[in-house]
Amino acid sequence: MIAQQIINAVSLGGVYALLALGLAIVFSIVGLINFAHGELMTLTGYVLLAALIAGVPFPAAVLLAVICAAVGAVAMERLAFRPMRGASVTSLLLTSFAVSGLLKVIFQNGVSARPQAVAIPNWMTGAFSIGDFTIGVGPAISIVVSIVALIALEFFLKRTVTGTAMRAAAEDFDVVRLMGIPANRIIATAFLLSGLLAGLAAMLWVASRASVDPLMGFTPVLKAFIAAVVGGLGSLPGAVAGGFLLGVIEVLLQATLPAAIAPYRDAIVLSGVIAVLLIRPQGLIPAVRVQRS
Amino acid sequence: MRHIRKRSALLTAISAITVATAAPAFAEEIIIGAATAQTGGLAPYDQPALAGLRMAIDELNAKGGLAGKYKVNLIIKDTRSDTAQTATVTQELIDAGAKIMITPCDADPSISAGQLTQPLGIPSLTLCGSAPVLTQAVGDVMFGTYPADNLQATAVADFAIAEGKRKVFLLTSPDATYVANLPEYFGKVFEKKGGKIVGRGTFTMNQPDFSAEITNIKGLAEQPDLIMTAAYEPDFPAFIQQLRGAGINIPVYGADAIGTPTIKALGKLVDGVVYTAAGYPEAGSKLEAFNAAFAKHAGHAPESTYEVNGYEIGLILDEAVKTAGSDDPKAIRDAIANLKDFEGITGKITYAGTDRMPLRPVVLMRYEDGEPKYVETVVPAAADVPAP
Repeated sequence: MIAQQIINAVSLGGVYALLALGLAIVFSIVGLINFAHGELMTLTGYVLLAALIAGVPFPAAVLLAVICAAVGAVAMERLAFRPMRGASVTSLLLTSFAVSGLLKVIFQNGVSARPQAVAIPNWMTGAFSIGDFTIGVGPAISIVVSIVALIALEFFLKRTVTGTAMRAAAEDFDVVRLMGIPANRIIATAFLLSGLLAGLAAMLWVASRASVDPLMGFTPVLKAFIAAVVGGLGSLPGAVAGGFLLGVIEVLLQATLPAAIAPYRDAIVLSGVIAVLLIRPQGLIPAVRVQRS
Repeated sequence: MRHIRKRSALLTAISAITVATAAPAFAEEIIIGAATAQTGGLAPYDQPALAGLRMAIDELNAKGGLAGKYKVNLIIKDTRSDTAQTATVTQELIDAGAKIMITPCDADPSISAGQLTQPLGIPSLTLCGSAPVLTQAVGDVMFGTYPADNLQATAVADFAIAEGKRKVFLLTSPDATYVANLPEYFGKVFEKKGGKIVGRGTFTMNQPDFSAEITNIKGLAEQPDLIMTAAYEPDFPAFIQQLRGAGINIPVYGADAIGTPTIKALGKLVDGVVYTAAGYPEAGSKLEAFNAAFAKHAGHAPESTYEVNGYEIGLILDEAVKTAGSDDPKAIRDAIANLKDFEGITGKITYAGTDRMPLRPVVLMRYEDGEPKYVETVVPAAADVPAP
């Protein structure tokens, strides 16, 4: 039982971590909390749905959907955020809300207000047994994908020139530009990575929901925002820690609270968040440089 | 300034949305306000129901309007599935002169609309809101139209007992009246008839991680032979996906909100799921004829029984105005409240002697191989239906 709940917690935490990381990468470079991150997930879901309806095999459809999320993120930067570069944090924030709202309406009117069922292959809804307890294939995939994505990102940031430049840009963007690294490239890469992470998270999210709807991005981006703040806004390890912490708290409370108190779960979780921020105002693992907000 | 702009926007909206056909010059006009969700979580329910109502009004207007006399001007405003926004648009509709109000498919926004229409005595009908507390929470102007939650739950519970099910797990969410109460009504009837509730679980709507709850179900000392829930989209697909994913094959039963194309499209995942509907189009029935007429009118077949329910609201209003003999809201209200054995499309509808939640038949359906299959039509005994 307890082992099972731990697997549930890690699985949910992994998805939150991927999402929070996507927000944190962009924030660390351009100081923007991209609330349209959730709509990248929605986009991914609809691309997957369209590809499956068109008869594309499942693995290819997943690949296509994740690529579309990355392309969508770069396009978002190019169309909406680049013209706003250098604007105040508030303007950037409002721009991201505008993009988010616009995309929601496009999905609602262009596709349908009704959720659309996504045919998840049978093998993904199965379960396998190890010793005493059964592990769902879905949660197992979720955990593996999260861990692989986190390791790959770590490798990219530590071992490549662009990655190093991005880490440097998070600390002091002006100096990086003086070193001759083009700002556009750094920023575009940041959005590309955040799009990839949103795409992966969306696949895990959709696989456990079996449907996509125009508003599906709202809850996850809210969770990611909370996770990123708890972890330390702009800090990548912080976002991962925050994501896992949020997932673990949510699942463990849901598992252990008596039925009468269970409806207050979210209130308890958010009180916990406030408590963490009272003790560590900069988050669990603060960003190297305090952000220019 | 702002006020003026708002008013001109309102006029534009009225002229754009007015359902109008060529009107005889002498006809009087009656404004029906529809505060319904065109966007957001309730839209998949409100829209089909509204489509049915519009069809009824188009047909009635072609014959001169309600009671052949009062041409209907239907003004539709979007509530965005938001309770506060519902109150705002209801007020706008009242200001526009609505004498009858149509409210969304859920208790909470319908109550917020009813709080505005009750003091003015404007009869208000929810499209498919089915919580029996809904009419009591507002007062004598509020009417349900769809089979009430306690009625539906009784029908499903009777069926489960007859099948030999004895142990149930109830999954609820405190976030909406329907999702919170319907399984509890089921539980009351189920226990009274010899069943046992072996566990209860809750979830947060639109936040579909059910893993912890599912692990709790797995860990129950006494395993249920049935899970009863009123969860709907997008929570229901997520729940059943994760439940089956965890290797649990206990049957899941629900109510009317899962009789939708989205749930049907889940295919094998929802095999064996029992749910309710307001009617079933047997060969030669009035409902079959309605479905054909609707398909011709709307260009697509009805998605559910919400369409016919919306259509029946039009018929009920027509009958009520006939009885009232005027367009006075109070007289219309009294006429609806005294309706008895009115022949609708799905069967007889009675309001007289009820708390303004109609007595009408409930249809049980079951998904098999990705198709909805008819099980039976029942009218639960009034004594079995638990009090709201």
